[in-house]
Amino acid sequence: MSPMWGSTAQYEVIHWSWAIAVYLFLAGISAGSIIVALLVKWNRHERSNSSIWDAMIKSGTLVAPVSILAGLFLLVADLGRPLSFYWLLIRFNPLSVMSLGVLFLLIYTPIVLVFTLLVFERTIVKYTWLSPLGSFIEWVKSLHSYAKTIEYFLMAAALCVGTYTGFLLSALYAIPLWNSPVLPIVFLTSSISSGIAVNILIGLVFFKSTINTESIKYLLVLDLRVIMTELPLLGIFFVGLLYGGGEVSSMAKAALSHGGLALVFWLGVIGIGLLLPLATVILALRSHVYRVGYILTNATAVLLGVLLLRYYIIYAGQIYLG
Amino acid sequence: MAKAYRLIFDENLCIGCQACNVACRLENDVPEEVYRLQVHVTTQGVFPHLGMHFERRSCVMCDEPPCVSVCPTGASFQSKDGLVHIHESQCITCKYCILACPYHARFINPLKNVVEKCTFCFDSRLSKALDPACVSVCTTEALRFGDVSQENSTVAMLSRKETLLFPKAHLGTKPKVCFIPARKGVKV
Repeated sequence: MSPMWGSTAQYEVIHWSWAIAVYLFLAGISAGSIIVALLVKWNRHERSNSSIWDAMIKSGTLVAPVSILAGLFLLVADLGRPLSFYWLLIRFNPLSVMSLGVLFLLIYTPIVLVFTLLVFERTIVKYTWLSPLGSFIEWVKSLHSYAKTIEYFLMAAALCVGTYTGFLLSALYAIPLWNSPVLPIVFLTSSISSGIAVNILIGLVFFKSTINTESIKYLLVLDLRVIMTELPLLGIFFVGLLYGGGEVSSMAKAALSHGGLALVFWLGVIGIGLLLPLATVILALRSHVYRVGYILTNATAVLLGVLLLRYYIIYAGQIYLG
Repeated sequence: MAKAYRLIFDENLCIGCQACNVACRLENDVPEEVYRLQVHVTTQGVFPHLGMHFERRSCVMCDEPPCVSVCPTGASFQSKDGLVHIHESQCITCKYCILACPYHARFINPLKNVVEKCTFCFDSRLSKALDPACVSVCTTEALRFGDVSQENSTVAMLSRKETLLFPKAHLGTKPKVCFIPARKGVKV
Protein backbone atom coordinates (compact mmCIF):
# COMPACT_ATOMS: atom_id res chain seq x y z
CA MET A 1 0.00 0.00 0.00
CA SER A 2 1.60 3.23 -1.08
CA PRO A 3 0.24 6.66 -0.22
CA MET A 4 -0.67 8.89 -3.18
CA TRP A 5 -2.43 11.80 -1.59
CA GLY A 6 -2.93 13.00 1.96
CA SER A 7 -0.94 14.73 4.64
CA THR A 8 -0.10 12.93 7.84
CA ALA A 9 1.85 15.83 9.37
CA GLN A 10 -0.88 16.77 11.81
CA TYR A 11 -1.04 13.23 13.23
CA GLU A 12 2.67 13.22 14.02
CA VAL A 13 2.72 16.26 16.30
CA ILE A 14 4.00 15.63 19.83
CA HIS A 15 1.28 17.39 21.79
CA TRP A 16 2.64 16.70 25.24
CA SER A 17 6.30 17.59 25.13
CA TRP A 18 9.25 17.48 27.52
CA ALA A 19 7.50 20.04 29.75
CA ILE A 20 4.84 17.47 30.67
CA ALA A 21 7.52 14.81 31.26
CA VAL A 22 9.33 17.19 33.62
CA TYR A 23 6.02 18.05 35.32
CA LEU A 24 5.27 14.35 35.89
CA PHE A 25 8.79 14.01 37.30
CA LEU A 26 8.40 17.03 39.61
CA ALA A 27 4.93 16.00 40.81
CA GLY A 28 6.33 12.52 41.48
CA ILE A 29 9.31 13.92 43.39
CA SER A 30 7.04 16.16 45.44
CA ALA A 31 4.65 13.36 46.38
CA GLY A 32 7.47 10.85 46.84
CA SER A 33 9.63 13.08 49.01
CA ILE A 34 6.75 13.97 51.33
CA ILE A 35 5.61 10.33 51.56
CA VAL A 36 9.16 9.28 52.49
CA ALA A 37 9.54 12.19 54.93
CA LEU A 38 6.30 11.22 56.67
CA LEU A 39 7.22 7.53 56.81
CA VAL A 40 10.61 8.43 58.30
CA LYS A 41 8.94 10.80 60.76
CA TRP A 42 6.45 8.16 61.88
CA ASN A 43 8.84 5.24 62.06
CA ARG A 44 12.41 6.42 62.45
CA HIS A 45 12.36 9.78 64.10
CA GLU A 46 14.56 10.12 67.14
CA ARG A 47 14.78 13.24 69.17
CA SER A 48 18.25 14.04 67.90
CA ASN A 49 18.43 16.98 65.54
CA SER A 50 21.47 15.93 63.61
CA SER A 51 20.51 12.44 62.47
CA ILE A 52 20.09 11.58 58.80
CA TRP A 53 16.42 10.87 59.57
CA ASP A 54 15.89 14.43 60.68
CA ALA A 55 17.71 15.65 57.57
CA MET A 56 15.47 13.49 55.39
CA ILE A 57 12.34 14.92 56.98
CA LYS A 58 13.60 18.47 56.52
CA SER A 59 14.63 17.75 52.95
CA GLY A 60 11.24 16.21 52.12
CA THR A 61 9.30 19.10 53.55
CA LEU A 62 11.48 21.54 51.60
CA VAL A 63 11.59 19.67 48.29
CA ALA A 64 7.86 18.89 48.18
CA PRO A 65 6.50 22.47 47.99
CA VAL A 66 9.31 23.74 45.75
CA SER A 67 8.97 20.93 43.21
CA ILE A 68 5.16 20.96 43.12
CA LEU A 69 5.10 24.74 42.60
CA ALA A 70 7.74 24.50 39.86
CA GLY A 71 5.75 21.65 38.30
CA LEU A 72 2.49 23.57 38.39
CA PHE A 73 4.18 26.55 36.78
CA LEU A 74 5.47 24.32 33.95
CA LEU A 75 2.04 22.73 33.57
CA VAL A 76 0.27 26.06 33.15
CA ALA A 77 3.04 27.45 30.92
CA ASP A 78 2.70 24.43 28.62
CA LEU A 79 -1.01 25.08 27.99
CA GLY A 80 -1.75 26.47 24.54
CA ARG A 81 -3.54 29.33 26.31
CA PRO A 82 -1.86 29.67 29.70
CA LEU A 83 -3.90 32.71 30.74
CA SER A 84 -7.16 30.82 30.47
CA PHE A 85 -6.04 28.21 33.01
CA TYR A 86 -8.63 29.57 35.47
CA TRP A 87 -11.26 27.48 33.69
CA LEU A 88 -9.62 24.49 35.38
CA LEU A 89 -10.52 26.02 38.74
CA ILE A 90 -14.12 27.01 38.04
CA ARG A 91 -15.16 23.90 36.11
CA PHE A 92 -15.04 20.33 37.34
CA ASN A 93 -15.51 17.14 35.39
CA PRO A 94 -15.40 14.08 37.67
CA LEU A 95 -14.86 11.83 34.64
CA SER A 96 -11.66 13.63 33.63
CA VAL A 97 -8.50 12.48 35.37
CA MET A 98 -7.02 15.91 34.65
CA SER A 99 -9.88 17.55 36.52
CA LEU A 100 -9.44 15.12 39.43
CA GLY A 101 -5.73 15.94 39.37
CA VAL A 102 -6.51 19.64 39.70
CA LEU A 103 -8.70 18.80 42.70
CA PHE A 104 -5.93 16.71 44.31
CA LEU A 105 -3.36 19.44 43.67
CA LEU A 106 -5.66 22.09 45.14
CA ILE A 107 -5.90 20.03 48.32
CA TYR A 108 -2.30 18.83 48.35
CA THR A 109 -0.39 22.07 47.69
CA PRO A 110 -1.77 24.14 50.62
CA ILE A 111 -1.36 21.23 53.07
CA VAL A 112 2.25 20.80 51.94
CA LEU A 113 2.89 24.52 52.46
CA VAL A 114 1.36 24.46 55.96
CA PHE A 115 3.32 21.34 56.85
CA THR A 116 6.55 22.94 55.64
CA LEU A 117 5.88 26.03 57.75
CA LEU A 118 5.15 23.81 60.76
CA VAL A 119 8.44 21.94 60.37
CA PHE A 120 10.52 25.06 59.72
CA GLU A 121 8.55 27.33 62.02
CA ARG A 122 11.52 28.01 64.35
CA THR A 123 13.81 28.80 61.43
CA ILE A 124 11.26 31.17 59.91
CA VAL A 125 10.77 33.09 63.14
CA LYS A 126 14.51 33.80 63.19
CA TYR A 127 14.43 35.90 60.04
CA THR A 128 13.20 39.44 60.52
CA TRP A 129 12.42 40.02 56.85
CA LEU A 130 9.72 37.41 57.20
CA SER A 131 8.08 39.35 60.04
CA PRO A 132 5.26 40.74 57.86
CA LEU A 133 4.09 37.12 57.75
CA GLY A 134 3.93 37.17 61.55
CA SER A 135 0.19 36.75 61.95
CA PHE A 136 0.19 33.97 59.35
CA ILE A 137 2.95 32.15 61.19
CA GLU A 138 1.01 32.60 64.44
CA TRP A 139 -1.95 30.96 62.74
CA VAL A 140 0.21 28.09 61.51
CA LYS A 141 1.58 27.67 65.05
CA SER A 142 -1.96 27.35 66.35
CA LEU A 143 -2.30 24.32 64.07
CA HIS A 144 0.40 22.48 66.01
CA SER A 145 -2.16 20.52 67.99
CA TYR A 146 -3.56 19.16 64.72
CA ALA A 147 -0.13 18.19 63.41
CA LYS A 148 -0.87 14.47 63.33
CA THR A 149 -4.18 14.94 61.50
CA ILE A 150 -2.48 17.22 58.98
CA GLU A 151 0.15 14.55 58.43
CA TYR A 152 -2.47 11.89 57.70
CA PHE A 153 -4.27 14.16 55.24
CA LEU A 154 -0.96 15.03 53.66
CA MET A 155 -0.08 11.37 53.21
CA ALA A 156 -3.45 10.66 51.55
CA ALA A 157 -3.15 13.71 49.28
CA ALA A 158 0.44 12.81 48.34
CA LEU A 159 -0.62 9.26 47.42
CA CYS A 160 -3.37 10.74 45.21
CA VAL A 161 -0.95 13.13 43.49
CA GLY A 162 1.66 10.40 43.00
CA THR A 163 -0.88 8.04 41.46
CA TYR A 164 -3.06 10.36 39.40
CA THR A 165 -0.19 11.19 37.02
CA GLY A 166 -0.24 7.52 36.01
CA PHE A 167 -4.02 7.43 35.59
CA LEU A 168 -3.80 10.65 33.58
CA LEU A 169 -1.98 8.68 30.89
CA SER A 170 -3.54 5.25 31.36
CA ALA A 171 -7.07 6.67 30.93
CA LEU A 172 -6.48 7.18 27.20
CA TYR A 173 -7.34 4.07 25.23
CA ALA A 174 -6.29 5.86 22.05
CA ILE A 175 -2.66 5.48 23.11
CA PRO A 176 -1.69 1.80 23.39
CA LEU A 177 1.52 2.32 25.38
CA TRP A 178 -0.23 4.41 28.05
CA ASN A 179 -3.44 2.41 28.34
CA SER A 180 -2.06 -0.05 30.90
CA PRO A 181 -3.45 -0.63 34.40
CA VAL A 182 0.11 -1.12 35.67
CA LEU A 183 1.25 2.39 34.70
CA PRO A 184 -0.08 4.20 37.82
CA ILE A 185 1.70 1.67 40.07
CA VAL A 186 4.93 2.06 38.06
CA PHE A 187 4.67 5.83 38.43
CA LEU A 188 3.89 5.73 42.16
CA THR A 189 6.77 3.34 42.85
CA SER A 190 9.25 5.35 40.83
CA SER A 191 8.06 8.57 42.45
CA ILE A 192 8.68 7.05 45.90
CA SER A 193 12.14 5.98 44.81
CA SER A 194 12.82 9.49 43.51
CA GLY A 195 11.55 10.77 46.87
CA ILE A 196 14.05 8.62 48.75
CA ALA A 197 16.84 9.71 46.41
CA VAL A 198 16.12 13.41 46.60
CA ASN A 199 15.68 13.36 50.39
CA ILE A 200 19.03 11.63 50.83
CA LEU A 201 20.72 13.96 48.37
CA ILE A 202 19.35 17.24 49.75
CA GLY A 203 19.55 15.94 53.32
CA LEU A 204 23.24 15.04 53.07
CA VAL A 205 24.27 18.12 51.12
CA PHE A 206 22.28 20.88 52.82
CA PHE A 207 21.37 19.69 56.30
CA LYS A 208 24.88 18.54 57.28
CA SER A 209 23.61 15.61 59.22
CA THR A 210 25.91 13.21 60.98
CA ILE A 211 25.78 9.94 59.19
CA ASN A 212 27.09 6.63 60.46
CA THR A 213 27.68 3.17 59.04
CA GLU A 214 24.36 2.03 60.42
CA SER A 215 22.30 4.63 58.59
CA ILE A 216 24.30 4.25 55.36
CA LYS A 217 23.62 0.56 55.45
CA TYR A 218 19.93 1.19 56.08
CA LEU A 219 19.70 3.64 53.16
CA LEU A 220 21.53 1.27 50.81
CA VAL A 221 19.19 -1.57 51.74
CA LEU A 222 16.24 0.78 51.19
CA ASP A 223 17.62 1.58 47.71
CA LEU A 224 17.94 -2.12 47.00
CA ARG A 225 14.35 -2.80 47.98
CA VAL A 226 12.95 -0.01 45.83
CA ILE A 227 14.99 -1.06 42.78
CA MET A 228 13.96 -4.67 43.25
CA THR A 229 10.33 -3.53 43.23
CA GLU A 230 10.67 -1.20 40.28
CA LEU A 231 12.51 -3.58 37.95
CA PRO A 232 9.87 -6.34 38.03
CA LEU A 233 7.08 -3.75 37.81
CA LEU A 234 8.59 -2.33 34.62
CA GLY A 235 8.96 -5.91 33.40
CA ILE A 236 5.28 -6.63 34.13
CA PHE A 237 4.32 -3.37 32.38
CA PHE A 238 6.07 -4.30 29.14
CA VAL A 239 5.21 -7.99 29.22
CA GLY A 240 1.57 -6.91 29.61
CA LEU A 241 1.89 -4.72 26.53
CA LEU A 242 3.75 -7.36 24.51
CA TYR A 243 1.02 -9.91 25.29
CA GLY A 244 -1.65 -7.31 24.51
CA GLY A 245 -1.97 -8.49 20.91
CA GLY A 246 -2.55 -6.51 17.72
CA GLU A 247 -1.18 -3.02 17.57
CA VAL A 248 -0.43 -2.93 21.31
CA SER A 249 2.18 -5.68 20.86
CA SER A 250 3.71 -4.17 17.75
CA MET A 251 3.85 -0.68 19.25
CA ALA A 252 5.51 -2.01 22.43
CA LYS A 253 8.03 -3.95 20.34
CA ALA A 254 8.83 -0.87 18.28
CA ALA A 255 9.17 1.34 21.36
CA LEU A 256 11.62 -1.10 22.90
CA SER A 257 13.74 -1.65 19.80
CA HIS A 258 13.70 1.40 17.51
CA GLY A 259 15.87 4.47 17.44
CA GLY A 260 17.10 6.85 20.11
CA LEU A 261 14.02 6.42 22.26
CA ALA A 262 14.76 2.73 22.84
CA LEU A 263 18.26 3.81 23.78
CA VAL A 264 16.82 6.24 26.34
CA PHE A 265 14.95 3.32 27.86
CA TRP A 266 17.67 0.68 27.89
CA LEU A 267 20.61 2.94 28.67
CA GLY A 268 18.92 5.65 30.74
CA VAL A 269 15.98 4.08 32.55
CA ILE A 270 17.29 0.53 32.96
CA GLY A 271 21.06 1.10 32.84
CA ILE A 272 21.67 4.32 34.73
CA GLY A 273 18.43 4.45 36.70
CA LEU A 274 18.21 0.87 37.94
CA LEU A 275 21.18 -1.40 37.15
CA LEU A 276 23.92 1.07 38.11
CA PRO A 277 22.47 1.74 41.59
CA LEU A 278 21.71 -1.97 41.95
CA ALA A 279 25.33 -2.88 41.21
CA THR A 280 26.67 -0.22 43.59
CA VAL A 281 24.38 -1.32 46.41
CA ILE A 282 25.25 -4.99 46.00
CA LEU A 283 28.98 -4.24 45.82
CA ALA A 284 28.83 -2.00 48.88
CA LEU A 285 26.82 -4.45 50.93
CA ARG A 286 29.00 -7.41 49.91
CA SER A 287 32.34 -5.82 50.65
CA HIS A 288 31.00 -3.91 53.67
CA VAL A 289 32.29 -0.61 52.37
CA TYR A 290 29.91 2.13 53.45
CA ARG A 291 30.93 5.36 51.78
CA VAL A 292 28.75 8.44 51.53
CA GLY A 293 29.91 8.76 47.91
CA TYR A 294 28.05 5.56 47.00
CA ILE A 295 24.84 6.96 48.35
CA LEU A 296 25.24 10.26 46.53
CA THR A 297 26.03 8.53 43.20
CA ASN A 298 23.06 6.23 43.65
CA ALA A 299 20.66 9.02 44.48
CA THR A 300 21.71 11.03 41.42
CA ALA A 301 21.47 7.99 39.13
CA VAL A 302 18.03 7.09 40.49
CA LEU A 303 16.74 10.64 39.94
CA LEU A 304 18.05 10.70 36.37
CA GLY A 305 16.47 7.31 35.72
CA VAL A 306 13.07 8.44 37.03
CA LEU A 307 13.16 11.58 34.87
CA LEU A 308 14.10 9.55 31.79
CA LEU A 309 11.31 7.05 32.50
CA ARG A 310 8.73 9.86 32.40
CA TYR A 311 10.34 11.28 29.26
CA TYR A 312 10.40 7.88 27.57
CA ILE A 313 6.78 7.02 28.40
CA ILE A 314 5.48 10.45 27.31
CA TYR A 315 7.27 10.38 23.95
CA ALA A 316 6.96 6.66 23.16
CA GLY A 317 3.19 6.84 23.73
CA GLN A 318 2.76 9.67 21.26
CA ILE A 319 5.18 8.36 18.65
CA TYR A 320 3.95 4.74 18.59
CA LEU A 321 0.25 5.40 18.17
CA GLY A 322 -0.61 2.41 16.00
CA MET B 1 -37.10 15.03 18.95
CA ALA B 2 -33.34 14.54 19.06
CA LYS B 3 -31.74 13.85 15.71
CA ALA B 4 -29.78 10.73 14.89
CA TYR B 5 -27.34 12.09 12.35
CA ARG B 6 -25.37 9.78 10.16
CA LEU B 7 -22.79 10.45 7.47
CA ILE B 8 -22.15 7.60 5.07
CA PHE B 9 -19.01 7.54 2.93
CA ASP B 10 -19.20 5.13 0.03
CA GLU B 11 -15.68 4.01 -0.87
CA ASN B 12 -17.00 2.58 -4.14
CA LEU B 13 -18.17 5.97 -5.36
CA CYS B 14 -15.27 8.13 -4.15
CA ILE B 15 -12.85 9.23 -6.86
CA GLY B 16 -10.44 11.10 -4.56
CA CYS B 17 -11.12 14.52 -6.07
CA GLN B 18 -10.74 16.29 -2.67
CA ALA B 19 -13.67 18.60 -3.42
CA CYS B 20 -14.94 17.81 0.10
CA ASN B 21 -11.56 18.76 1.55
CA VAL B 22 -11.54 22.09 -0.31
CA ALA B 23 -15.17 22.87 0.51
CA CYS B 24 -14.43 22.22 4.20
CA ARG B 25 -11.50 24.59 4.07
CA LEU B 26 -13.52 27.38 2.49
CA GLU B 27 -16.55 26.91 4.71
CA ASN B 28 -14.64 26.78 7.98
CA ASP B 29 -11.53 28.92 7.32
CA VAL B 30 -9.21 26.02 8.09
CA PRO B 31 -5.55 27.17 8.13
CA GLU B 32 -3.34 25.84 5.38
CA GLU B 33 -1.22 23.33 7.28
CA VAL B 34 -4.06 21.49 9.06
CA TYR B 35 -7.14 19.54 7.96
CA ARG B 36 -10.58 19.02 9.46
CA LEU B 37 -11.25 16.62 6.65
CA GLN B 38 -9.13 14.92 4.04
CA VAL B 39 -9.45 11.84 1.88
CA HIS B 40 -6.30 9.75 1.99
CA VAL B 41 -5.65 8.04 -1.31
CA THR B 42 -3.46 4.94 -1.48
CA THR B 43 -2.62 2.44 -4.20
CA GLN B 44 -3.05 -1.19 -3.28
CA GLY B 45 -2.00 -4.43 -4.89
CA VAL B 46 0.77 -5.44 -7.25
CA PHE B 47 0.93 -4.35 -10.90
CA PRO B 48 -1.06 -5.05 -13.01
CA HIS B 49 -3.67 -5.84 -10.33
CA LEU B 50 -3.85 -2.42 -8.81
CA GLY B 51 -6.64 -0.75 -6.94
CA MET B 52 -7.21 2.59 -5.33
CA HIS B 53 -8.26 2.98 -1.74
CA PHE B 54 -9.99 6.08 -0.42
CA GLU B 55 -10.19 6.78 3.28
CA ARG B 56 -12.03 9.70 4.80
CA ARG B 57 -10.15 11.19 7.74
CA SER B 58 -12.23 13.45 9.94
CA CYS B 59 -14.05 13.55 13.24
CA VAL B 60 -16.49 10.64 13.27
CA MET B 61 -18.83 12.25 15.84
CA CYS B 62 -18.90 9.46 18.40
CA ASP B 63 -22.02 8.80 20.43
CA GLU B 64 -19.63 7.87 23.27
CA PRO B 65 -16.89 10.43 22.71
CA PRO B 66 -13.65 9.93 24.68
CA CYS B 67 -12.70 13.56 23.95
CA VAL B 68 -15.67 14.82 25.98
CA SER B 69 -15.13 12.71 29.08
CA VAL B 70 -11.45 13.68 29.40
CA CYS B 71 -12.00 17.45 29.01
CA PRO B 72 -11.32 19.08 32.39
CA THR B 73 -13.24 22.29 31.67
CA GLY B 74 -16.25 21.02 29.75
CA ALA B 75 -15.11 22.95 26.67
CA SER B 76 -15.43 19.74 24.69
CA PHE B 77 -19.11 18.83 24.93
CA GLN B 78 -21.87 16.84 23.33
CA SER B 79 -25.07 18.50 22.17
CA LYS B 80 -28.60 17.12 22.51
CA ASP B 81 -28.32 15.74 19.01
CA GLY B 82 -25.20 13.84 20.01
CA LEU B 83 -22.86 16.10 18.06
CA VAL B 84 -19.49 16.84 19.65
CA HIS B 85 -18.49 20.50 19.72
CA ILE B 86 -15.88 22.74 21.34
CA HIS B 87 -16.59 25.94 23.29
CA GLU B 88 -13.70 28.00 22.02
CA SER B 89 -13.66 30.39 24.97
CA GLN B 90 -13.45 27.61 27.56
CA CYS B 91 -10.73 25.63 25.81
CA ILE B 92 -7.40 26.02 27.58
CA THR B 93 -5.61 23.98 24.89
CA CYS B 94 -4.33 21.36 27.32
CA LYS B 95 -4.39 18.95 24.36
CA TYR B 96 -5.79 16.09 26.47
CA CYS B 97 -8.70 15.59 24.03
CA ILE B 98 -6.34 15.46 21.03
CA LEU B 99 -4.49 12.59 22.70
CA ALA B 100 -7.72 10.88 23.76
CA CYS B 101 -9.18 10.76 20.24
CA PRO B 102 -8.57 7.32 18.65
CA TYR B 103 -9.30 8.82 15.21
CA HIS B 104 -6.73 11.62 15.55
CA ALA B 105 -9.40 14.00 14.35
CA ARG B 106 -8.44 16.96 16.51
CA PHE B 107 -5.70 19.48 15.96
CA ILE B 108 -4.60 22.89 17.14
CA ASN B 109 -5.64 25.76 14.94
CA PRO B 110 -2.26 27.51 14.66
CA LEU B 111 -3.87 30.93 14.14
CA LYS B 112 -6.27 30.84 17.10
CA ASN B 113 -4.32 28.41 19.29
CA VAL B 114 -7.44 26.42 20.16
CA VAL B 115 -8.40 22.82 19.51
CA GLU B 116 -10.57 22.33 16.44
CA LYS B 117 -12.20 19.57 14.46
CA CYS B 118 -15.08 18.84 12.12
CA THR B 119 -18.45 20.13 13.37
CA PHE B 120 -20.59 18.83 10.50
CA CYS B 121 -20.59 22.57 9.64
CA PHE B 122 -23.06 23.05 12.48
CA ASP B 123 -22.99 26.84 12.87
CA SER B 124 -22.92 27.84 9.25
CA ARG B 125 -25.01 25.12 7.63
CA LEU B 126 -26.47 22.29 9.71
CA SER B 127 -28.30 24.62 12.13
CA LYS B 128 -29.98 26.10 9.01
CA ALA B 129 -31.04 22.62 7.87
CA LEU B 130 -28.31 22.51 5.19
CA ASP B 131 -26.04 19.51 4.63
CA PRO B 132 -22.38 19.83 5.69
CA ALA B 133 -20.24 21.52 3.00
CA CYS B 134 -18.38 18.30 2.12
CA VAL B 135 -21.65 16.47 1.44
CA SER B 136 -23.11 19.31 -0.60
CA VAL B 137 -20.16 19.40 -3.03
CA CYS B 138 -19.45 15.68 -3.38
CA THR B 139 -19.29 15.12 -7.12
CA THR B 140 -20.23 11.44 -7.09
CA GLU B 141 -22.66 11.35 -4.15
CA ALA B 142 -20.16 9.24 -2.26
CA LEU B 143 -21.10 11.26 0.82
CA ARG B 144 -24.64 11.03 2.17
CA PHE B 145 -25.89 12.79 5.24
CA GLY B 146 -29.13 12.81 7.17
CA ASP B 147 -31.23 11.71 10.09
CA VAL B 148 -31.21 7.95 10.31
CA SER B 149 -34.26 7.93 12.59
CA GLN B 150 -36.36 9.24 9.69
CA GLU B 151 -37.30 6.11 7.81
CA ASN B 152 -37.47 7.77 4.39
CA SER B 153 -34.15 9.57 4.59
CA THR B 154 -31.43 8.56 2.15
CA VAL B 155 -29.11 7.50 4.95
CA ALA B 156 -31.80 5.32 6.55
CA MET B 157 -32.50 3.61 3.25
CA LEU B 158 -28.80 3.17 2.52
CA SER B 159 -28.27 1.78 6.03
CA ARG B 160 -30.95 -0.86 5.45
CA LYS B 161 -29.52 -1.83 2.08
CA GLU B 162 -25.75 -1.73 2.52
CA THR B 163 -23.20 -3.26 4.83
CA LEU B 164 -21.88 -0.40 6.92
CA LEU B 165 -18.51 -0.38 8.61
CA PHE B 166 -17.93 1.83 11.63
CA PRO B 167 -14.29 2.86 12.10
CA LYS B 168 -12.62 1.26 15.13
CA ALA B 169 -16.02 -0.08 16.20
CA HIS B 170 -14.36 -2.36 18.76
CA LEU B 171 -13.59 0.69 20.91
CA GLY B 172 -17.28 1.22 21.60
CA THR B 173 -17.22 4.88 20.56
CA LYS B 174 -20.26 4.43 18.26
CA PRO B 175 -19.30 6.78 15.42
CA LYS B 176 -21.93 8.66 13.38
CA VAL B 177 -19.62 8.58 10.37
CA CYS B 178 -19.46 5.18 8.70
CA PHE B 179 -18.44 3.80 5.37
CA ILE B 180 -19.51 1.32 2.75
CA PRO B 181 -16.34 -0.70 2.09
CA ALA B 182 -14.97 -1.15 -1.41
CA ARG B 183 -16.51 -4.21 -3.02
CA LYS B 184 -13.70 -4.72 -5.51
CA GLY B 185 -10.67 -6.45 -4.07
CA VAL B 186 -7.10 -6.39 -5.33
CA LYS B 187 -4.43 -9.05 -5.33
CA VAL B 188 -2.01 -8.16 -2.60
